[in-house]
Amino acid sequence: MTPSATAQATTRRFVRADGPDKVTGSGRYTADLSLTGTLVAKFRYAQVSHARITKLDVSAARAMPGVFAVITDADVPDVRFGPMVQDRRLFARDVVRFEGEIVAAVAAVDAETAQRAVDAIVVEYSPLPIVNDVESALSPDSPLVHEDWADYGAPGVMVRNRNDASYASIAKGDVDKALAEADFVVRSHYESDGCHAAPIEPRAVVAQWEGNKVTIWTSTQVPFDARAGVCETLELPSSRVRIIVPHLGGGFGGKCGFHYEAHVAALARIAKRPVKLVFSRREEFLAPDKRREGIVYDFETGVKADGTIIARKARLVIDNGAYTADAGFFSQLAAMHALGPYKIPNVLSEAHLAYTNHQPSGSVRAPTAPQTCWALESHTDEVANKLGMDPVAFRKLNAVDSNVEGPSGQTYGEIGVQQCIDAATAAAGYGKPLADDEAIGVAIGWWPSFASASGAYIKIDGDGSGQIITGAQECGTGAVMTLRQLAADELGMQPEDFELVYQDTSAAPYDMGATGSQTLFNNGRAVIAAAGQIADQLRELAANKLEAAAADIVLADGMAHVAGSPDRGVAIAKLAATAANGELLIGHGSGPPPPAAKAVGNTCVGDIGMTAWRAPQFSCHAVRVRLDRETGVVRVLRVSTAHDSGTIINHTGAQGQVEGGVMMGIGQALTEGTKYDDQARQRNAALLEYKLQTCADAPPIDVQFVEIYTPDAGPRGAKSLAEAPNVATAAAIGNAIAKLVGSPVRRLPMTAERVWETINAGNAS
Amino acid sequence: MSFTIAHTVDEALAAMAAGARAIAGGTDLVVGARHGKAALPGNLVAIDRLTELKSVTTTKDGVSIGALVTHHDIEMHPLLSTSYAGLADGSALVGSPSTRHIGTLGGNIMNASPAMDTGAPLAVMRAEIELRSVRGSRRVPIEELWTAPGKTSAQPDELCVAIHIPAPATRSNSAYVRLEYRRAMEIAVVGAAAFVALNDDGTIAALRVGLTAVSPTIFTGDLVGQIGRSVSDAAENAAKVSMEQATPISDVRASDSYRRHTVGVMARRAVEAAARRAAGETIAIPVNRAIGIGAAS
Repeated sequence: MTPSATAQATTRRFVRADGPDKVTGSGRYTADLSLTGTLVAKFRYAQVSHARITKLDVSAARAMPGVFAVITDADVPDVRFGPMVQDRRLFARDVVRFEGEIVAAVAAVDAETAQRAVDAIVVEYSPLPIVNDVESALSPDSPLVHEDWADYGAPGVMVRNRNDASYASIAKGDVDKALAEADFVVRSHYESDGCHAAPIEPRAVVAQWEGNKVTIWTSTQVPFDARAGVCETLELPSSRVRIIVPHLGGGFGGKCGFHYEAHVAALARIAKRPVKLVFSRREEFLAPDKRREGIVYDFETGVKADGTIIARKARLVIDNGAYTADAGFFSQLAAMHALGPYKIPNVLSEAHLAYTNHQPSGSVRAPTAPQTCWALESHTDEVANKLGMDPVAFRKLNAVDSNVEGPSGQTYGEIGVQQCIDAATAAAGYGKPLADDEAIGVAIGWWPSFASASGAYIKIDGDGSGQIITGAQECGTGAVMTLRQLAADELGMQPEDFELVYQDTSAAPYDMGATGSQTLFNNGRAVIAAAGQIADQLRELAANKLEAAAADIVLADGMAHVAGSPDRGVAIAKLAATAANGELLIGHGSGPPPPAAKAVGNTCVGDIGMTAWRAPQFSCHAVRVRLDRETGVVRVLRVSTAHDSGTIINHTGAQGQVEGGVMMGIGQALTEGTKYDDQARQRNAALLEYKLQTCADAPPIDVQFVEIYTPDAGPRGAKSLAEAPNVATAAAIGNAIAKLVGSPVRRLPMTAERVWETINAGNAS
Repeated sequence: MSFTIAHTVDEALAAMAAGARAIAGGTDLVVGARHGKAALPGNLVAIDRLTELKSVTTTKDGVSIGALVTHHDIEMHPLLSTSYAGLADGSALVGSPSTRHIGTLGGNIMNASPAMDTGAPLAVMRAEIELRSVRGSRRVPIEELWTAPGKTSAQPDELCVAIHIPAPATRSNSAYVRLEYRRAMEIAVVGAAAFVALNDDGTIAALRVGLTAVSPTIFTGDLVGQIGRSVSDAAENAAKVSMEQATPISDVRASDSYRRHTVGVMARRAVEAAARRAAGETIAIPVNRAIGIGAAS
């Protein structure tokens, strides 16, 4: 690629293709779809957290007029599924393990009839002991969530140890010896509550059979994963299942994984009609096997008097909930985040994923990272305070740097964590005098980049306009939107010249989906490769027309011209018209994923969470807050961020990602947390009681990028970006609060009442 | 099942006499029905077109606010946002901008939630509610209107048509402060309103305090014992009285002990803000943003 193309790519701002549709309301979402004869689906949920089913009778519901299908475990293939541990079924069999587990599904002519049928289903339970606390879940006398999971499918190395669903450790050096030699050892305990993705669009699924093939429109972030789930659970080849995703109203990870596509397809097959499921907000809170996991943390860090960290021990227990979903590798991620981007010679980081009778955990934006960063960075400030060191200076001294070994033994090439610290703290005015009810807290964080296979096609029509047919899924980040820019730059065209065609699993090649911040990282490579094939075709066509060598043809500004002779050119549209009568302009791309980083530590379910540190992203957030000491209410006044995500391809999109990540982080810091009753049922499964941040709460947010070209990463030296901005915000807020209170608030979210209690505890002692 | 659109108050009253329930903004009735709180009543009469209930008029005794005046109108009204500032403080905190443009004062009052934001300020200002039915019209002191959470002393056929507030004496004004965890779509965890009249020497001539969300209905106290005291003493005493009088519950929003503590803080701040306004100072609506929770920015 020419240098001028890079410059063009990094400076151009354009309106994303789906923006006008979404803003004006003309965009169509899954719930907007109506097919002739569509029935309404509703689920019967367990409503109890752990019980044996002693009676399940759907006969009265089936007999009701207007009811076309009532199905249970007996009506679907005998399949246990799950991406890492096969511990789930579509419908409960014998035992229910969380309140949102599906016992039966109904399809009826309208919502009222469907609800009456759901209510007419008779279910009786015999209670089983409830595991409601993540720490005690691992005690030897805890009741078991899965009595018989020795029979479950899982990776060969899986150790099935009571409620411990997955374990990961990272060990380096001699941590006990180093702790003994330390001048100071600081120990800290923290806890974080679970929280939710809470996308604005509650999920929806529409399924329609034609013959033995089913088309499913669904609000998923991962269409190919959804298709795989339908194929597995309904025992169908992928050629008979087509997944289409209309506009997606946000996901934040909550719409990763395979959810209700198979339930609705099974209903539609039996009902012989299209069936549509649309979740209520309450269902969106209770049922999906995707919410951010609660964690308990114990840290022990040894430092020398000069401030050098020489040892860290960390033990984390992560709330897996009742089923493992995609949380199987979270123990690996958490073990890395418990060490953080610090150069520590002696480490032992252990993370357990514990089954409980809570809603299952799963990929919510940067799984395990914001809360573990919050705990670790609170601990880091405690260590700095013990030393009497400024916490920023302490971080600068101990943070990893270019070509310096990180805590797990990996090195990361040229990285910008130190520059991020400088940039964020400078923007925040760190060190300048503040009012006595204000403070600035600082935190650093990291997040991996996941390499994966990914594909795209591009075609240019006779009028010179193109379509990008991609397997990638847009979930709001703008990553798919930015694909147009990559194609345009390769071909000397404009982003607006391209239409995006997504998402249809029967039309597009594979992509992992809007998960793991991987869309542009991997699909960008595919689009560039596909565009490259068309560029070669255009150069051949132009070479014939201009009587020059193909290698001398330059594509720029909608023209193909001879290098050094801009006036010896032909419009690309003209070449496209020529091609339309002969060999068509079609490109396809995939390309080998960048190599993985070396695996570190020990895990029982693969090493995806550790090998992804090939091109890790770094960030520093500095947050100024004001504390109302009488009530404990915290107001965030300004958030100053700096991110190393490698090259930034679309600054408009990147800025939006950071701002959104910060707002999500403020919510996680202060107001968002699931509360359980003593029966392990959610007490605040509604938007009034589960408090997201609103526009009115948004503070000014400074966004800076430390752009470092990163080889063996994404396109043009880019790393990922989608999840990283959500990592360090809560941690920085926590450190600001701790400065004002005199002690950290040890439980996340740091609600006004918890801050007030911490202030009172300090006054009492 | 019926839905009637009333074009005059008399049409509305006739429909209510026949058993219909009045609906204006629908921000409680419709939202409640969607959340399964209570089914939408079978017979509804829409009163949102009754322009005669949408005006604010000054009378010789004070001000009369039509039941269909919206929270946004109150927040922006030149007289209400200055002389009756506590009410504007409360209206400015209701829901979101869209709720405030649709939701009406009459609806907020008749919904009788102990967490309503306009109730405590109206109570400390000794507002009266005008209820009308085909049988006639009557005025009820607002504190006698609420009988329990969601219950009023109004008969099913009575429509709230206006809220009458006595004119504040010279050197008097009000304020309402609410504990809030975020700046929109919030419901009172606790809140407090104060009405303060000052003597020429700056001491308290009258002090009434109203508390939100700490008892089954809005609590109001006339603190006659504070007459003649300094504002700062009275504010501290109002905080103490509020903490003593509150009977808060523990729920998902807050514990009883946190509510009891913070209602005292809110009461003190409300008294201080009302006193500053009574002394002639302008504090922007709502007090929460200007001096209160989480502080201005």
